[in-house]
Amino acid sequence: MALLKVENLVKHFPVEQGVILSRVGAHVKAVDGVSFEVDQGETLGLVGESGCGKSTTGRCIIRLIEPTSGPIEFEGRNVVAMGRRGLREFRREVQIIFQDPYASLNPRMTIGEIVSEPLGVNKMGTAAEQRKVVQDLLDVVGLNPEHINRYPHEFSGGQRQRIGIARALTLRPKLIVCDEPVSALDVSIQAQVVNLLQDLQDQFGLTYLFIAHDLSVIRHISDRIAVMYLGKIVEVGDYKGLYDAPHHPYTQSLLSAVPVPDPELQRKRERIILQGDVPSPINPPEGCRFHTRCPIAQPVCSQKEPELRDVAPGQKAACHFAKPFPIDLKVAVQKG
Amino acid sequence: MTRLLEVIDLQTHFFTRDGVVKAVDGVSFTLDKGETLGVVGESGSGKSVTAMSIMRLIPDPPGKVVGGDIIFKGDSVLEMTAQQVRSLRGNRIAMIFQDPMTSLNPVYRVGEQIGESVRLHKNASKQEAFERAVELLDLVGIPHPRERARDYPHQFSGGMRQRAMIAMAIANQPKVLIADEPTTALDVTIQAQILDLMNELQDRTGTAIIMITHDLGVIADMADKVLVMYAGRPVEYGSAADVFYNPKHPYTWGLLDSLPRHDVAMKDTLNPIQGQPPSMIRVPEGCSFHPRCPYARVKCIKEEPVLRHTEAEHGSACHFAGDDGFVRGEATACREVS
Repeated sequence: MALLKVENLVKHFPVEQGVILSRVGAHVKAVDGVSFEVDQGETLGLVGESGCGKSTTGRCIIRLIEPTSGPIEFEGRNVVAMGRRGLREFRREVQIIFQDPYASLNPRMTIGEIVSEPLGVNKMGTAAEQRKVVQDLLDVVGLNPEHINRYPHEFSGGQRQRIGIARALTLRPKLIVCDEPVSALDVSIQAQVVNLLQDLQDQFGLTYLFIAHDLSVIRHISDRIAVMYLGKIVEVGDYKGLYDAPHHPYTQSLLSAVPVPDPELQRKRERIILQGDVPSPINPPEGCRFHTRCPIAQPVCSQKEPELRDVAPGQKAACHFAKPFPIDLKVAVQKG
Repeated sequence: MTRLLEVIDLQTHFFTRDGVVKAVDGVSFTLDKGETLGVVGESGSGKSVTAMSIMRLIPDPPGKVVGGDIIFKGDSVLEMTAQQVRSLRGNRIAMIFQDPMTSLNPVYRVGEQIGESVRLHKNASKQEAFERAVELLDLVGIPHPRERARDYPHQFSGGMRQRAMIAMAIANQPKVLIADEPTTALDVTIQAQILDLMNELQDRTGTAIIMITHDLGVIADMADKVLVMYAGRPVEYGSAADVFYNPKHPYTWGLLDSLPRHDVAMKDTLNPIQGQPPSMIRVPEGCSFHPRCPYARVKCIKEEPVLRHTEAEHGSACHFAGDDGFVRGEATACREVS
């Protein structure tokens, strides 16, 4: 059984118009019918450009944002229908790591207070026990346990992200939603945090929903990946199939747009350069939402919305004309 | 032969209450017509301060260029009068900034802002400047340029704003274009559009580009030459092929090994550089990279290495670069210090 099952999740944000007599005129369709499952112990990557709804999806799952509709099932329990008590129990098992390590830690709390707060909220352990838990956790995430009384400003970006990770681990959750946890970090620090997240997953048997816009990072950490565009999943599959033979033209252009750190290879790669910008999620295009920018769009694409359908074993794409695009620039690992 | 742009041992320091920050400490490079230099490094490595020094945009106080020289077509930029600098800036040397959301003035129409530099440097009339702005917007691929020139910045998307910034920068056909993280704030599909546009404009006009970025992929796409910076100092300098295929400095090795790649068949464990970048107020003695360097030896703590050439145009600021037995990936054989 899947640990987390999301079915047809919808989140529409009302947009108020007018200054004095404001009224709801339109809705931003941030997430518009997203379904996926995450199995115990796996990492599902959620990738897409700004405004595609990936973070909103993540926040709806732990109900930091109330979804408009759609059941979210965690271990068979419907998260959307939970009351206060149910939600508190649920959040012992599901935690989140945020993107910005400068904004997500309270500057007036010591890191000991930050990391032990979940224990206090749930009335778990005595003060001494809590302190021990925190010190162990700081050690686990690679921080000095003696720094328990320091404040967030005394730490660098990478170290703060480690504090955020320790806080997420305090209650030994089963699922962690990682919302762009490495995007704000420099390359060398980013690699340290990615490695840490992978080690913790092995050590504690964690399941991750990993949200990011960086296609290289997401491939590195994920078992399966879902690609989002304008509030919908356009393609989902295991990392290998998706990157070796992407079927949806959006996935294909996204992958071909990421520059490869290898000058010769990069300059002879086949690239699809998309024209224009992402349309507004207030008024998404009819039919397939990608048809306004799609290099292979046909008349049917503006009329009929494509369903997610099987295109290869373990891989689904929502395109009427899905076909593999072999990115034939795979190289055997070459370093040095 | 006179180089288009020559930066010689540039030192830009900031005098703060906490001490002297040597933001740029001994950077040298040359740039010729039609060339692209990629400057790569992590936050605080001095990339942007180098660019600002060339543009004479360092706020003084607290900043000051304390040493070295910047020679543009034989003339020292540092010795120019304010008047001379004004006629250089935005005209023969232009700059594209990172954040297209904050670099445009929200209360002026896009066309007016682009036309401003034409009016300033070419004495064009308002009407001529507007016509030129329309032409430029068309050149950078904005549809319906005549109508869009009358829009305000908030009516443009992020990618379009960056195109408008480029239009502004190339308005007077500059000889040198400095692009400071021009695509960092953009999505990948828009980044691809912008890089494509810059390559195309360069082919057409022969403008030399200084591309500042932390993204080695962007460098691989654009650069002919690469300068790698760490803690204000140049650590490696050479052709793109040299730096990517035959790097000589352990920091460059570390950067390349930290990157997850989406184009290689196998997923490897990442091999990050350990530790944190140093505080710029207390840069480590000797080689500033030694506390994080897996190859560090006793000499690295005591002596500061200078950028020396291992091959004709390829330099590395490591005491041991190019030595026999100093090989990437064989750290345990090297490190002598704890």
